[in-house]
Amino acid sequence: MGHPSLPPIVQALDIARQVHYGGETLSILRSVNLTVRAAETVAIVGSSGSGKSTLLGILAGLDHPTGGQVALFGKLLASLDEDERAKLRQRLVGFVFQSFQLLPALTALENVMLPLELAGLKSAKERATAMLVRVGLEKRLGHYPRHLSGGEQQRVALARAFVTEPKLLFADEPTGNLDFETGDHIIELLFALNREQDTTLILVTHDDILADRCERVYRLADGKLTETGRALA
Amino acid sequence: MPWLERIALSLRLMRREIAAGELSLLVIALVIAVSAFSSVSFFADRVERGLRLQATHLLAADLVVNADHAALQPYRDQARAAGLSTAETVTFPSMVLARGRSQLATFKAVSAGYPLRGELSVQFADRIQHGQLQPAAGTVWMDARLMQKLGVALGDTLTLGAADFVLQGQLVREPDGAMDLYNFIPRLMLNQQDLARTGLIQTGSRARWRVLVAGAPSAVEALRLDLLPKLKRGERLDNIEEARPEIRVALERATRFLGLTALLAVMLSAAAVSLACRRYLTRHTASVAVMRCLGAGQGEILSLFLFQFAGLAVVAGVLGTCLGWVAQAAAVSQLAAGLTDNLPQPGLQPWLSGMALGGVLLFGFAVPPLLALKRTPTLRVFRDEPVPTHLGRSGYLLGGLTLCGLMAWQAGEPKLAVLVLLGFAVFLLVAGAGAWGLVSLLRRLPSGGKVGWRFGLANAARRQGLTVVQIVALAVGMMALLVLTIVKNDVLTAWHSTLPADAPNRFVINIQPPQRAGIEALFAAQGLPAPQFAPMVRARLLFINDQAVRPESYADDRAQRLAEREFNLSWTDTLPADNRSVAGAPWGGSGDAFSVEVGLADTLGIKLGDVLRFDIAGTEYQAPVTHLRKVNWDSFKVNFFVYGSPSLLGKQAASYLTSFYLPPDREAAMSALVQAFPNLTVMDVGAILAEVRRLLDRLTWAIEAVFGFSLAAGVLVLWAATLATHDERALDAAMLRTLGASYRQLRTIALAEFVWLGGVAGGLAALGALGLSAVVSVQMLEVPMRLNLWLLPIGVGGGAVMATLAGWPTTRRLLRVPPLWVLRQLG
Repeated sequence: MGHPSLPPIVQALDIARQVHYGGETLSILRSVNLTVRAAETVAIVGSSGSGKSTLLGILAGLDHPTGGQVALFGKLLASLDEDERAKLRQRLVGFVFQSFQLLPALTALENVMLPLELAGLKSAKERATAMLVRVGLEKRLGHYPRHLSGGEQQRVALARAFVTEPKLLFADEPTGNLDFETGDHIIELLFALNREQDTTLILVTHDDILADRCERVYRLADGKLTETGRALA
Repeated sequence: MPWLERIALSLRLMRREIAAGELSLLVIALVIAVSAFSSVSFFADRVERGLRLQATHLLAADLVVNADHAALQPYRDQARAAGLSTAETVTFPSMVLARGRSQLATFKAVSAGYPLRGELSVQFADRIQHGQLQPAAGTVWMDARLMQKLGVALGDTLTLGAADFVLQGQLVREPDGAMDLYNFIPRLMLNQQDLARTGLIQTGSRARWRVLVAGAPSAVEALRLDLLPKLKRGERLDNIEEARPEIRVALERATRFLGLTALLAVMLSAAAVSLACRRYLTRHTASVAVMRCLGAGQGEILSLFLFQFAGLAVVAGVLGTCLGWVAQAAAVSQLAAGLTDNLPQPGLQPWLSGMALGGVLLFGFAVPPLLALKRTPTLRVFRDEPVPTHLGRSGYLLGGLTLCGLMAWQAGEPKLAVLVLLGFAVFLLVAGAGAWGLVSLLRRLPSGGKVGWRFGLANAARRQGLTVVQIVALAVGMMALLVLTIVKNDVLTAWHSTLPADAPNRFVINIQPPQRAGIEALFAAQGLPAPQFAPMVRARLLFINDQAVRPESYADDRAQRLAEREFNLSWTDTLPADNRSVAGAPWGGSGDAFSVEVGLADTLGIKLGDVLRFDIAGTEYQAPVTHLRKVNWDSFKVNFFVYGSPSLLGKQAASYLTSFYLPPDREAAMSALVQAFPNLTVMDVGAILAEVRRLLDRLTWAIEAVFGFSLAAGVLVLWAATLATHDERALDAAMLRTLGASYRQLRTIALAEFVWLGGVAGGLAALGALGLSAVVSVQMLEVPMRLNLWLLPIGVGGGAVMATLAGWPTTRRLLRVPPLWVLRQLG
């Protein structure tokens, strides 16, 4: 549980995002403010097309806001260039995506090794193997993504996200492509790993039950972000 | 990440990609492209070397120092010091006495080592022998004509000057016999050591001394360059290009054709590899986005791909070049048997250019889209974002430029490379616009008809960008093959028409005007076609405008010779049909004028409008040059450097000459001619003609073989190009199958798309090929262009068939596998 005295890990101030389409200007995000402290778990809920993924992309430094500022770990993203933002993510941030985003040309083990190798870390193979064992895929190390089920692919993605022991994890609809039962197992695993590594979690979902497992829940509607306490309340 | 680690990681990634089969298509396309290109290069290189070697047989050497005096020792010593082989010959006309008869013959005294190139064939009493042969001391060999005229047989004794010799052999074939000025006179060969004994060579004798030189091409060329400025008056260097213009022309054409073939092989390769690169990078867009999320910087990602590609370029370069070598070696062993002498081994260039091609193609066509790819929006991990391509398009300039460099190197002839490149550049623009327009038109067509065809065409229209890229790539490949087909036919047709089976093999000179009617009657009585007589006068060029023509006014060796010798001048109402106007116009029946052959005009600096003054038998004749023309020297017909108008020279006393074809069994007709008109000289050019024809036969074979080889390589490359776009088709088919489409419907859809794509590409290729081949034929190969409109239907039909043949086998396999498998593999 994050403590008010801990430094904020994510700080979004007055974020706006507009897109121009067919001569019209659409406001996807309007004056969004959000502060997330270390070890907090935060859910952002909203209907399909409400701008959740756009907000997540902006918070993670994958996209630029048209207004406002975002700071990650005390650093203003606008002051960093693309490569500096990439380095920040490499050291401190992990991702889990709805569509898994495993590299099709790499085996499960190689997919998990990749972030360690990109960071130039030694013993990538041992650490990746240990992580895949932790998520229960010790018999699938040499399998390519196309030979794995959806649940298995997402477990590989979890292993890849946690193998670098990130301080902050962004999860975008992690159960969106899975059946209920498999999704449930994935969520259990996600929260277990999160606890083990004391990771800060920002989770985007349209699933209120899943959102309620987080300490704080925000709802995004009409471009505005509001804290709701409990999603199902 | 430090560079070493980066390289190590990219090599690991490459190994993983290869294991996963992700690189297979790119590697296949690259290896096929490199091996197709290098097999053509190897083959062309070997054929060219072989042809040059073959041509040197006509000189019996690579280089000849030719002089009117004997003091050639320093040249011989210098050649030997350079590690080259040498031999000497002395040629002169003299009389042979035997059995109480005497006969004029061309004597040739040869040293040990003769001939350095080619083979001498001699019939001895008991056997025929070929190779490097010289008569033993005290013996001579002579040709059948001389034996017949003297009535001698092998073993008889003859007298040459002050010495007696035994006739030991009959000359069957003399490689450089055709090169002698006196080749129409019967020939005799003796050993150089016997020359002094005969006492025939005295000061002032009309003899030619030759030092023959052969060896490594670089050493020969170095010697040639070194000797050129040292040559004294009466000395000259002969190499094959200078010695026989008809062979030079043929060789140049063949070399250019081979160069063109290699250029077009580069184009074909580029078409295939660019498609394969596009597919590879499209498949890696998502991976790049993920790597960016995982913290890899743009530069890091770019370098990871670049190192992978560098590794790939090395692997494909080495593998492709080796395969190319094996392919051409196999082809040579299959095709060449009995047709050519052993082809020389290829030089270094095909190896180097083959290895370089892999890298050039990969970097030229992969780096531009890669530069765009590294800018892939990271948000693509959340949803499909379009990949920016603007940088990629401008970046193709890099590929284009490197390709230009490679082509210029390969062609060895900048003009040809520029022509071909410009042709293809214009074609790319026109074909791109044409394909875009056609696809747009397809989108606007009202929907109707059977579902298969409708869907197939709709597929092509829906993927407008991809369809255009595919059409243009296929069209470039097909255009390369069509250009090659047309140019090959033009070259061969030109050769066959200039040297037909009944090309003149006899020249009769010294015909006096009153004898013409008698000769015509004799020809008619012998059943020979009526001869065409051309008047000839000897003339010396005195002035060009007011400038006196003196040998020392010219730096050029050939110009010096032309300035000091007498010309054969002629006149005619209408110029020979095979002369082609270059500038001005010949006389229209009135007015004094000269028509000059353009090569002579260039050498002596004669321009249109210049006034020439000739001295003919003590009278000076002056007239302006109103016409420059090109002469087809390889036709073996009577031709002159300078013609005057009939009004200028028509009243001049002249002798006449004629040329005609004498069938092999009609030698008796010549005896009758010479008996009836003893003053005539009949020159037999049959031996030269046979040598030239032998060379042209080999050239024809070489061109046909290289063409066939390129065609096979081209079809293979097009197949690789079609493979490169099969992912999209496979996904569509899987989706349609899932939605309940029958196998028959899927087949119709796929075939409709192939037929349409191939037909459009083939049609565009035919249009492009018509234009480019016309320019190449006329400008570079100097053969007449023919407008082959039949190419259009052939292009459309052939394109449709070729695309279907190339694409259908893999697509058919995909239609039979479960759709889920395809969706999982590619989805």
